[in-house]
Amino acid sequence: MTVILFKDTKKNMETLKKKAPCKYAVDAEISADITDAYITTDKKFFTYRLRLTGTQEFKPSDEIILKNKNEMKTVLLVDSSQLIDPMPLSQFRKKGKKIQEFADFDIVELPTIKIEEKPAYRDTLPQDVRDVLEIASKKKMGIPVSIAEKLVKYRKDLSPEKFEELIDRIGDDLKKKSIDPHEAVGIIAAQSIGEPGTQMTMRTFHFAGVREMNVTLGLPRLIEIVDARRIPSTPSMTVYLKPEFEENEEVVMKVVKELENTTILDVASIITDIQQMTLAIKPEPSRMKERLVNTQDLIDALAKMKGITIMNQDDSEIILKPQQESYKRLYQVQENLKTTTIKGIQGIKRAIARIDPPTKKWILYTQGSNLREVLEVDEVDANRTYTNDIIEISTVLGVEAARNAIFNEALRTLSEQGLEVDKRHLMLVADMMTFGGSVRAVGRQGISGRKSSVLARAAFEITTKHLLRAGLLGEVDPLTGVAENIIVGQPITLGTGAVNLVYRPSGKSQ
Amino acid sequence: MGKFNVLQHDLVPEHHVVPKSEEDKVLKELEIAKDLLPKISRSDPAIKALEEIHGPLDTGTIIRIVRRSPTMGYSTYYRVITSEVFK
Repeated sequence: MTVILFKDTKKNMETLKKKAPCKYAVDAEISADITDAYITTDKKFFTYRLRLTGTQEFKPSDEIILKNKNEMKTVLLVDSSQLIDPMPLSQFRKKGKKIQEFADFDIVELPTIKIEEKPAYRDTLPQDVRDVLEIASKKKMGIPVSIAEKLVKYRKDLSPEKFEELIDRIGDDLKKKSIDPHEAVGIIAAQSIGEPGTQMTMRTFHFAGVREMNVTLGLPRLIEIVDARRIPSTPSMTVYLKPEFEENEEVVMKVVKELENTTILDVASIITDIQQMTLAIKPEPSRMKERLVNTQDLIDALAKMKGITIMNQDDSEIILKPQQESYKRLYQVQENLKTTTIKGIQGIKRAIARIDPPTKKWILYTQGSNLREVLEVDEVDANRTYTNDIIEISTVLGVEAARNAIFNEALRTLSEQGLEVDKRHLMLVADMMTFGGSVRAVGRQGISGRKSSVLARAAFEITTKHLLRAGLLGEVDPLTGVAENIIVGQPITLGTGAVNLVYRPSGKSQ
Repeated sequence: MGKFNVLQHDLVPEHHVVPKSEEDKVLKELEIAKDLLPKISRSDPAIKALEEIHGPLDTGTIIRIVRRSPTMGYSTYYRVITSEVFK
């Protein structure tokens, strides 16, 4: 899709938003066949989108909103204006390449794809399996797909009546095995995960590496998952490439270089000369070679920085000076230089390519994580790439993906230690953590801290705070949970305790 | 919109919009009030992607989620859109 980019003020955009559809005059010549315009207010991110119905030559008239006081050339027929999620310049392409610098009224391409829903998994099952599931669902029962697959074999040997009887019997069996109403599933899950947890502390403690990379495993990792930490202690990504590049070593190495974030401090040392008020960057050849950076890359990165002048440059040393002569500024520039990115994606400290022995395909592992930007890299297979940062998954891919991530990560952490926990317990934890639409921790800040009952919260942690608050606000406790009923000395609302007996003197039911 | 589709990612299960006419049937089957269903934020990336297909979705719309389940093969789950926005 061809779109147009330009810079404008926020005020102009807000007026357009109010008055759309309207006419908007701009000071540039634009060809007619453009339907979308993206507007930046800070030259960094594009925050507004205009939908256009066409363009006209400019003729003075009262109805037209002017962009500024310059001479106008074209009138854009604005259909609507909307605020969008900030888009970086890197999303736009010009002749298939990334745009280096922003230019006003640039006509560029925006690679877009048609958003489609996933094909339903149910429809991908073989027809005979689906038939069996259909018969079961008519009887209002759900049978697992694996059992339905087994049943298909027996179906041809049995008469339809016998087959239905078989399904009925399976239904009875499933009913016997399903959990009873008012069973304390949470407590069973807590014990089932907790007990192997104690084994874990004894057996391992910290790290197990993927070559030179450390990934937190064992109990510390499990705690990290249920605590829903903002940033895990060792964020790491597994990056898959699109099938056509998977066996091409050249492309793989190119992607590694593209991902790895190299800062100036990684390849050079910075020396501050207080007398001369200058900063000297001394590249270290061995480290430059290791990171595949040359001096030109370094200079290009410096050229993008504001408020500095490059005084002198050769292969061994680059000298630069802040434009403003003050010690404060000198210090600021030095601090900025340390974290200036020469290339790569921010947050990715290291990327390692490893060949997967059975399939002979390359997989990249990274230290540090930045899912949103890695998914935008052209060669990356965006559908399989994942990270171990659960909060990041929830912001980039949504709660449901985060729920799957919690489940997968917890299951993997436990099974790596050789511990077997029933999957259903972990599913319950994952479902509870994502119940409210975002990932919430299990402890006092999360699920336990948000129980509706005052007494249950007070019994868990920080008793006085909860009781005092409840007193001040006049909270009511309906005594429906477990902890509060134990406190007041009533039978708990679990199992048989949850059943109430009601006497109807009339003798009629309902 | 970028050039990758959130809905196609391996970690994201199928999301379907439940039409207004079917809502009562779903709630009756589950024997639950709408506001007791699990939530999904209206700013959720999956909802944003669904909006590209179906147009704007109101809060209170029920979303049917069909998950791949290791025990059942697949299982159905429901979430209701809330106006809450999480940072």
